[in-house]
Amino acid sequence: MNLVWSVLPDFLVGLKNTIILCVVSFPLALLFGLLFALMAGSRILWLRGPARIFIEVVRGTPIVAQIFIVYYGLGALLVNTHNSFLAQLITSWSAGILTLALNYTAYEAEVYRAGFSSIDKGQTEAALSLGFSPLQSFFRVLLPQAIPVLIPPFVNDFIYMLKDSAVVSIIAGTELTAVLMFWVRRNASDPLPFYLIAIVLYLILSLPIAYVARYFERRVRAAL
Amino acid sequence: MLAGPSTRETSVRLGQGLWPRRAGSDYFYYVLVVVALGAFAYYLYQYRQEGLVYLPALLQGALVSLVVSLISTLFALLFGLMGALGRLSRFRLIRWLSTIYVEVVRGTPLLVQLLLWYYGIGQVLAVAGFNPHSIAFEFMTVLQNNSLVPDAFNGFFYGIIGLSFNYGAYMTEVFRAGILAVDKGQTEASLSLGLDARQTMRHVVLPQAIRIIIPPFTNNFITLIQDSAFLSVMAVIELEYVTIGFALPQTNPNSKLFVFVLGALCYLVICYPLSVLARYFERRLSVEHLDV
Repeated sequence: MNLVWSVLPDFLVGLKNTIILCVVSFPLALLFGLLFALMAGSRILWLRGPARIFIEVVRGTPIVAQIFIVYYGLGALLVNTHNSFLAQLITSWSAGILTLALNYTAYEAEVYRAGFSSIDKGQTEAALSLGFSPLQSFFRVLLPQAIPVLIPPFVNDFIYMLKDSAVVSIIAGTELTAVLMFWVRRNASDPLPFYLIAIVLYLILSLPIAYVARYFERRVRAAL
Repeated sequence: MLAGPSTRETSVRLGQGLWPRRAGSDYFYYVLVVVALGAFAYYLYQYRQEGLVYLPALLQGALVSLVVSLISTLFALLFGLMGALGRLSRFRLIRWLSTIYVEVVRGTPLLVQLLLWYYGIGQVLAVAGFNPHSIAFEFMTVLQNNSLVPDAFNGFFYGIIGLSFNYGAYMTEVFRAGILAVDKGQTEASLSLGLDARQTMRHVVLPQAIRIIIPPFTNNFITLIQDSAFLSVMAVIELEYVTIGFALPQTNPNSKLFVFVLGALCYLVICYPLSVLARYFERRLSVEHLDV
């Protein structure tokens, strides 16, 4: 028990880093996801094609492979440029944020697409026939109606990101799983208490958010 | 999406028969895609000597990944079915147990769970005298085939347990949603026709639920294949482990990136056809098709 109390501050630092990773990456994913969703839904092939290819490639490869490509592959390339700025660009932080943001961009794009297609097409048609420009009809009519439908899957995906941020521990990150692995290696004879701490901390993070998501889901379903 | 009634659509309609449906700039796009694919192929071709050395091992790793994923999926189905029936059970204790299982597993990262199974529980059981590798080795020795037992058997054993335990929780929710989506009238009708509860579940509810279950199940299978890459942390020689093993010792950054890209490409080759299949199922088995 003493051991648990003595390592708890370390784990809390890891927890803080996990939260920072996700809080930085998720808005980026939402922003780029919207961009890619608009591109993928466009009738202009030059926008639709590249967006679809990006989404398919990212969704077709494991996040582990992606983080290795970014951290070791891209990192080695940049170090070799001998440019003092580029060489220091890829750290475990930036690689983790970049990978999480890009990976979730593809998934959020699909969420946006499903959300937009759930809104009646008549809404857009009505806005256009009332003289709204396409941009206005999207931002004033379609998006505001889609947001309630979008919130529950977004919250769910945020929980997924909290869990997926554990991969950053593989590339020498300093988040919760990395702290866990560090202490497990130091106390290999009795590792179970550390796992318990990590699991409880992850649950403290994810369970309340999951309940919020379910609450929103019920509200949305009641409203529809 | 941003589309209004555009002029292009009318021009296409006017020109139908005279001009192919695709506008001219779209052909340029396809030309560009072909050029880009060619450039990517040329990129791979440049590293053909290394690539041909690594490819057999990578394909073997891909096979291991696939086999591990298939076995894990089978066990996950089992866990999921038990979990779903548990969550819909009449007994409060069983309901609580399966709810705790789902919430804890879905609230923690797969990586942490795998580490717990392999380094945590595996270690404790090994101290207590349970070693899956030596049991399998002795068993296969009796069958005169102990060379078939891989050195990383413990990794396989706990990896498959960890993966299927994790995905069992997700399958639980998939099954539960599927079972709940079957109209209550079906159950009532079959009960009033004299079938008992077990027969109702087996012959009436589950066959109808499967239709709803298949698309999310396929999606789960795809993510399971991708998540099997986590088994590389427990020395299971699957695709990602092989990739890392070839890539990290490379001193030339370009060939390092190449090996990682090649490994990711193998995953893409496996997962993309499956996701096409999943979308086909989604279309075919969607609710609109149900009541036709």
